[in-house]
Amino acid sequence: MKRLADKSFWNAVWLPVAILAVWQVLAMRAHTPLFPGPWQTLLAISKLYPQIVGQLGFTLSRAGIGFLIAAVLMVPLGILLGRLKLLGKVLEPAIDMLATLPPPAVVPIVMLFAGTGDAAKIVIIAYAAAVPLLMNTYEASRTVHPSANLVARALHLTKLEAMLHIDLPAALPMIATGVRLAVSSALLVAVTSEMLLATNGIGVFIQRQQENFQISGGLAGIAFISLAGLIINSIVFQFEKRWLFWHYRNANSKG
Amino acid sequence: MALERWILRFRSLVSLALILAVWQGVAMLELVPRKYFPPIPDIAAGFWSMLLSGELLAGDSLTLGRALVGIVGSSLIGIGLALLGEMVPAFRSAFRPIAAIVQPIPPAALVPMAIFMLGLGFKLYAFVIILVTIWPPYLNGAAALAAVGDVEVKTGRMLGLSERDILFRIKLPAAWPEIFAGIRYAATISLIAVVVAEMLAGRDGLGFMLIRKAFATRIPEVYALMFVCAFNGVVLNALINLLRWRITGWHMRMTERTP
Repeated sequence: MKRLADKSFWNAVWLPVAILAVWQVLAMRAHTPLFPGPWQTLLAISKLYPQIVGQLGFTLSRAGIGFLIAAVLMVPLGILLGRLKLLGKVLEPAIDMLATLPPPAVVPIVMLFAGTGDAAKIVIIAYAAAVPLLMNTYEASRTVHPSANLVARALHLTKLEAMLHIDLPAALPMIATGVRLAVSSALLVAVTSEMLLATNGIGVFIQRQQENFQISGGLAGIAFISLAGLIINSIVFQFEKRWLFWHYRNANSKG
Repeated sequence: MALERWILRFRSLVSLALILAVWQGVAMLELVPRKYFPPIPDIAAGFWSMLLSGELLAGDSLTLGRALVGIVGSSLIGIGLALLGEMVPAFRSAFRPIAAIVQPIPPAALVPMAIFMLGLGFKLYAFVIILVTIWPPYLNGAAALAAVGDVEVKTGRMLGLSERDILFRIKLPAAWPEIFAGIRYAATISLIAVVVAEMLAGRDGLGFMLIRKAFATRIPEVYALMFVCAFNGVVLNALINLLRWRITGWHMRMTERTP
């Protein structure tokens, strides 16, 4: 048993180690501070981590606020559009078009209205997170099983009650997928918006490092973003498993 | 009822008309300063002037071309890696931590570092786009290839197909629908990555034009460029749908017959 665990550990580790080794060799041969190896990056991390963690805090709090705003607005809207079939059908192409509009393209416009402060960045993050949330919620509530609607009618639920007690729970698994996409795009856009509308945050940190030719410092920043993303993704996954256990249970017993 | 059917048939047009009408209404009521929220004719005029001067076509062809090259490259590499992982399970388990580590890195964070290593040219865009868009095709492909049913694989083996034939003629076709879902998502990301990279690298393309026009406060043109960005997404989606229909038409016909 122990040998098996060892083996799977090595299976998971050999490729990253090999890549790091090749990178280190290339960096040593290039021998310039503009192409740092993993060792220099590690040194930069150990030197800069208090600063990086502080800046990452700004970034993550903005990403979190933006995501929450998007979730509070878009999940009810998606369910509403799924209920009001005609309105939903008419607005569907508009939503599709909105989905193809990349968040950074919105930056110049938001800048006009909200300047370059926290508010502007939160708006951009909320927009980026809104699209996957709205699309998934709408899609899910549109395709709620017809018999669930019959149950709603048999119980004489009002439209509002039906939305709350039938559409929302039925849509949750797909909303969860939307949440996962929205979280990662919120993080992504949080960093992007900082680089374009510089005030503070990890994006600004990376840009400053680059401007001072401290490539290893920048890579250290990137490493922390990646770590944060990894942790957040696994937290989202844990929540999903806890709240949607009924969905996975059914899916498993069916398959 | 007749009205409803009529609306549904032309719903894209109705939707577009609705957007334009609301936009024009907001602009005419001057809820926000006219300078910041120009009416549709102003935006159209800005679009037209950029089109006539040729800068729009030049910029957009660069952006769209980069996005297209990136998405083709990352799809091919992603599918290739997924196939490799299916053939060599050790590779798949070794590649998993790399995917988990690289995936959350935003394209914007890569650009400043990559500029030093790769310069401002084509290599920069190819690197950034492929590194951020490779994951949806790869992850979907790997999952779908692994999920192909035992019955199909055993049938193939019984028919005397080699392992290679089983991979390319049974598993890959079964995985195409999932892979295309990944490619469509990757197309969205690739447009974002291109525009971001152009904004930050600041030399040419739609992203660069957006920033330049915004700082020159040519607001109608900024809005026009925004519409062009959305239109790019529509074009890319249409191209991918065409390809998807060619490759997985059988699957789409099958799922649409049984709604």
